[in-house]
Formats: sequence, C-alpha cells, structure tokens
Amino acid sequence: MAENSGTDPAVETNTEENAAASATIIKVTVKTPKDKEEIAIAEDSSVSQFKEEISKRFKANQDQLVLIFAGKILKDGDTLGQHGIKDGLTVHLVIKTAQKTSGGGSSQTSASSGPGPSQGNTDGTGFGDLSGLANLGMGSANFMELQQQMQRQLMSNPEMLSQIMENPLVQSMMSNPDLMRQMIVANPQMQQLMERNPEISHMLNNPELMRQTMELARNPAMMQEMMRNQDRALSNLESIPGGYNALRRMYTDIQEPMFSAAREQFGNNPFSALGGNADNSGAQPSRTENREPLPNPWGPPDTAATTTSGTATTTSSTTSSTTPSVSNPLGISSSSLGNGMFNSPGMQSLMQQISENPQLMQNMLSAPYMRTMMQSLAQNPDIASQVLMNNPLFAGNPQLQEQMRQQLPVFMQQMQNPESLSVMTNPRAMRALMQIQEGLQTLQTEAPGLMPSLIPGQAPTPTPAPTPTPAAGTNTAQQQLMQQMLQMFAGGNASTPTPEVRFQQQLEQLSAMGFINREANLQALIATGGDINAAIERLLGSQPS
Amino acid sequence: MTRDVTLSYAFGFVQKKMAASSGVKVPRNFRLLEELEEGQKGVGDGTVSWGLEDDEDMTLTRWTGMIIGPARTNYENRIYSLKVECGPKYPEVPPTVRFVTKISMNGINNSNGMVDARSIPILAKWQNSYSIKVVLQELRRLMMSKENMKLPQPPEGQTYSN
Repeated sequence: MAENSGTDPAVETNTEENAAASATIIKVTVKTPKDKEEIAIAEDSSVSQFKEEISKRFKANQDQLVLIFAGKILKDGDTLGQHGIKDGLTVHLVIKTAQKTSGGGSSQTSASSGPGPSQGNTDGTGFGDLSGLANLGMGSANFMELQQQMQRQLMSNPEMLSQIMENPLVQSMMSNPDLMRQMIVANPQMQQLMERNPEISHMLNNPELMRQTMELARNPAMMQEMMRNQDRALSNLESIPGGYNALRRMYTDIQEPMFSAAREQFGNNPFSALGGNADNSGAQPSRTENREPLPNPWGPPDTAATTTSGTATTTSSTTSSTTPSVSNPLGISSSSLGNGMFNSPGMQSLMQQISENPQLMQNMLSAPYMRTMMQSLAQNPDIASQVLMNNPLFAGNPQLQEQMRQQLPVFMQQMQNPESLSVMTNPRAMRALMQIQEGLQTLQTEAPGLMPSLIPGQAPTPTPAPTPTPAAGTNTAQQQLMQQMLQMFAGGNASTPTPEVRFQQQLEQLSAMGFINREANLQALIATGGDINAAIERLLGSQPS
Repeated sequence: MTRDVTLSYAFGFVQKKMAASSGVKVPRNFRLLEELEEGQKGVGDGTVSWGLEDDEDMTLTRWTGMIIGPARTNYENRIYSLKVECGPKYPEVPPTVRFVTKISMNGINNSNGMVDARSIPILAKWQNSYSIKVVLQELRRLMMSKENMKLPQPPEGQTYSN
C-alpha cells in the first residue's frame, strides 16, 4: 500500500490518508471494561490501522492492544470488513500491560495468587519495602494498582494493618503533613475528587487536620478508642435486628478503602473516619465534608446509626436516608421504625442535610471511586463480608453478622441499581420516603397489632384482642403492599420476592378461573395488592375481549 | 445473505414482541439472530463477547465466545476463548459450551475444556430466556467465586488440543 501511494498519489490506495475520499468512514465503539470511546475509521481499514487509532486514543502501545469482536480476537493482518465490523458496532478492547489488564487497578496475578495477603506479597509490591514507600508518593502509574491491592489486602488482613502502623518509616512519614499532602495530591483520583469537592483541598491544606489524621493513623489505640465511643453510641441500636447498624458499618468500612486510596493506602483513614465522627474538633467538619464524595450505597439505615452522635455531618450521615430503598430489609425497616430509630435527632438532621444539598449525594455517587468500589464490591461479595466481619461492632453480635451476610448480595444489587441511586440523589424522593417512614411509625403506635405482621421473619407478638386470623388477610395484603412499595423504591430489585412469587397462589387461582393472560393477572394483582376479587374485577374491566 | 438476515430478523423482532406478551415460544433462528446482533453491538459491560464462528453459517449453530478474565483473580489479564454450540432445540435446551483456552475451573473438564452442564447452575437450571451472553457472563462470574479465583492456572496461551 505504501508503494502504491508513492507511485500513484492520485490513486487512493492508502485508506488512512484518503479515507474521506476512498471509503466510508464508520464509527466504531471501542469498549474496555472501564472505558468507552468512539473511533472513526475507514470501513476497509486493516486491524493494525484500527489499532493505531486506538493506541492514540487510549494512550497505549499498539502491541498492548487486544481487540475482540463477536467472540473473536482480531489479528493485525485482518481487515475490519473481514470480521463484519460495521458502523455503530462495538469492539471490545483489552489493554495488556506487562502485568495488568486495561481494567487498571488490578493487581498482579502473582501477588494475588500468593498465599493470601501475606507479608511476602506486600514485599513484592514494595509495600514493606522502604524505598517502595517513598515511591508511592510520586503518583506513579502503578500507584493506583498498588493502592487497590493494598486496600484489598488490608481489608482482609487486619494484622497487616497494625504491622504497617508500627513500621517506623510509615510513622515518620505520617508525621510529616507536607509529605502526606503531597502524596495525596499526587494521586490522580484524589485530584479528581478535589476538583469535585473543594472541601477536600481545604482539608488537605489544613495542617491541623492532617496532623490529627496522622495521629489517629499512627495510634491504633486512639483509633480503637474512637471506635469504642461510637460503638457505645450505637449500642442502643443493637437491639434492632441489625439492618441499620450493619449497613452503616458496612458503609464505613467500605469507606475505608476509598479513603485509603485517597490517603495513599495505609488504612489510616478508616479509623480516622470513624474517629472523626466522635471527637475531632474543628477538624471534624472539614473531615466529614470530605466524606461526601465518597459513596454511601447503603443509605438510610446506615446513617441512622452513625448519627446518634448528633453530628449531622458525619460521613455516615451523608449516606442517604432512603431506608426503604434498601430493598431487602423490609422487615428491618419496619422494626427499626418501631424502635424509633428514625426519631433520632441525627437522622433528622441527616435527612435535612441531604434534602438541602442534593449536590452532596450527586457528588458522592458520581465519584469515580464510588463506581470502582461498587463494582469491586458487587463482583466480590466476599470482600464486603470480610470487611463487615472485621468490624468490631459485629464481633460481638453474630446475629448481625448472619443477617449482613444474607443481605449482602441484595445490597450489592441494590447499590448497582441506577434507579435507587437516582432516588438517593433526589431530595424530594427522600423526603417522601421520610414521610412514609413517619407514617409507618404512626401506624405502629396507633395499631401495634398491625406492625408485627409487617415484619417478615419475626414472630408476631401475639396480639391479644385483634384476632390474627381476620387480620391476617389484610395483613398479608398490607405486607405485600409494603414490600411492593419498598421494592418500587429499590427499583424493583429482583432478589426480593417478586410479585410473581408472592402472588403465586393468586396467579394460579386466576388462571384456574380462566384468566390466561399471566401478565395482566400479575399487573392486576400488584395493583390490588394480592386481593383476588379486586384483581378479577380489574381484569374484567380492562379485558378487551 | 445480509438482506435475508435482516428481513428475517425484522420478522423475528415483531414476532418476539408478540411472543413476549402471549407466552408463545420464540423460534430458534429469531432468537439467535437477536443474539448475533447483541454480540455485535457489544451489549453488556464489555467483559464478554460472542459471535458466529462462521459468518456464513446459516444454521446459526456454532458460535465463538470470549471472556475477559476478571480482575483480582487468577484469571486476570487473560482472554478465554470458547466455543458454544446451539443445537436445534435451542433455546429450550441449553447450548453446549467448551473452553478453547486452557483453564482450571470447577465444572470444566481438564482435558478437553468441556463445560459440565450439571456443575454450572445456569446450564443445569436452564430457562429459555437465557442466552449465550448469560452463559458467558455466568462463567465469568464463577471465575470470581472463592473456589475458583485462586486456582492455579496453566501458562497463558495454551489451548485444548481437540
């Protein structure tokens, strides 16, 4: 081709140069697990020309690119036409670095395949290596990967954390606020965060705060102290079947790695975060504001827990208060209501804060960290459960643990659900949810007999006067209504009993009666909350024939 | 062929819409054409890919799939190639799936890469609403399970001989 263009410049043989004239330009989407770009290329280009364009756009070496289309790897010698790549189609890209995929942030296979997060691994990544530590602050390309790897390892191995803390180099580094600041700022992720939230840069610029953080980080005992304070505050919530506590804790623990990333690993943050909730003076506000960009996928229940301390701006506080949006703990929300959790002043102020500042949630939810975190959590529920289990709060409450473990997959799903995310960012929606909660609470006080039945999995307290049986019918319907409502908020998370499952019996009855349109039956049942007679009337009224 | 494909696809689309509401089973070819289109459009999160093994295959039986090994597992950074065969009864019966790239994973035969339908939940409890994409995504998800993610893997680039 090169020769041709040399000898016959008029002839458009070099598609790249004469693309516009010779062949149609097609727009092909190139997708990596993390990224997506649209690339315009001539229809009859070869794969290597395509790769050239891609390497420019993705800033990677052509040799590192692996293209996949329709289940086949595209070889350099092939043409796009050979594989049927046309306008508007998508090609998958994997960027092979020497050790990592284009997913970025993924640790080296050798490291992860090592015998668990042993120190041997950390040495390999330079974690225990003194010089490695210094390098970490330089914002090297490997930084993110190291970071995430460390996070992971830290999460799974608390002993390592304390080992790290005791490392004198770490300690000395941490006592140097400037260095810390430098390190933090060097992190591109932090930079992004900082752009989004000027509070972060304020915080970073506040030497007092930095020092406090580092104090905390350096002193595990102090951290423990803070955590204990919080635990005390939360102790009254322990009686609840666990949902809120659990969620909140889980949330903060998720924050750990996020913040660790922000703070150059070392896990100093998780504790400072928790500590920040309880005691830190002036530092507190900026610290907590800092939290905002960090996501709180588990919203409502979490917040309630933390906010007992009354600090509305605590990290957990930024977790939205959309209780019902957590699809799973339906019963939990009811019972927690019963316990007046939502009456806590912290909760109220939380709600207020969220309502007043939708931007907060927005920022939180859109932070890149959030996505990464959520993705990795969703992919690996084990991490989350590990995180949870390591939480001292749970240590004393196996019941909580169990519950959390069960609810984990649901949380993950719910977290991933964009609808629930949008609910959380919508202050009006959250206010509405608050109202619902309040309503439920009123219900409970007014009709105590009703509430127990709304709590699935709990033995309904035998209500003396109102006979359960006649009430049962209404209760089931109400329960279903509740579930339905909550499900709606959760974006109809499929892992909770779907209407189809719930109305199984009714559906069968309807079909036995001759209503063969299952979809319509289901709709009717949902609308009437499981009431067969009403559903039939609906069906009859709307049936076209 | 393209025109035929497009036409038949158009019909299939209409029929599928009707089918969804009336509960009628969707004809195999229409389903597969839809999956073909999805594969080319890159539906999903970009971690799996699938397409016809041979573009001229009018029976739409032999498919190739690709799974990008998930991060933080021993499968990371690898691209796994698979062969998926959708028989005449598809989608009422699950397709047969076979790894071409060597892999060490529960439910995959070590010597020929055949995926054991009884060990993979999605294949064992197959529903006709599942698809090739779902199978690939499920296999990828299983790569991330505790029992699989740390299994030592053969050196990269090896394939099964058959």
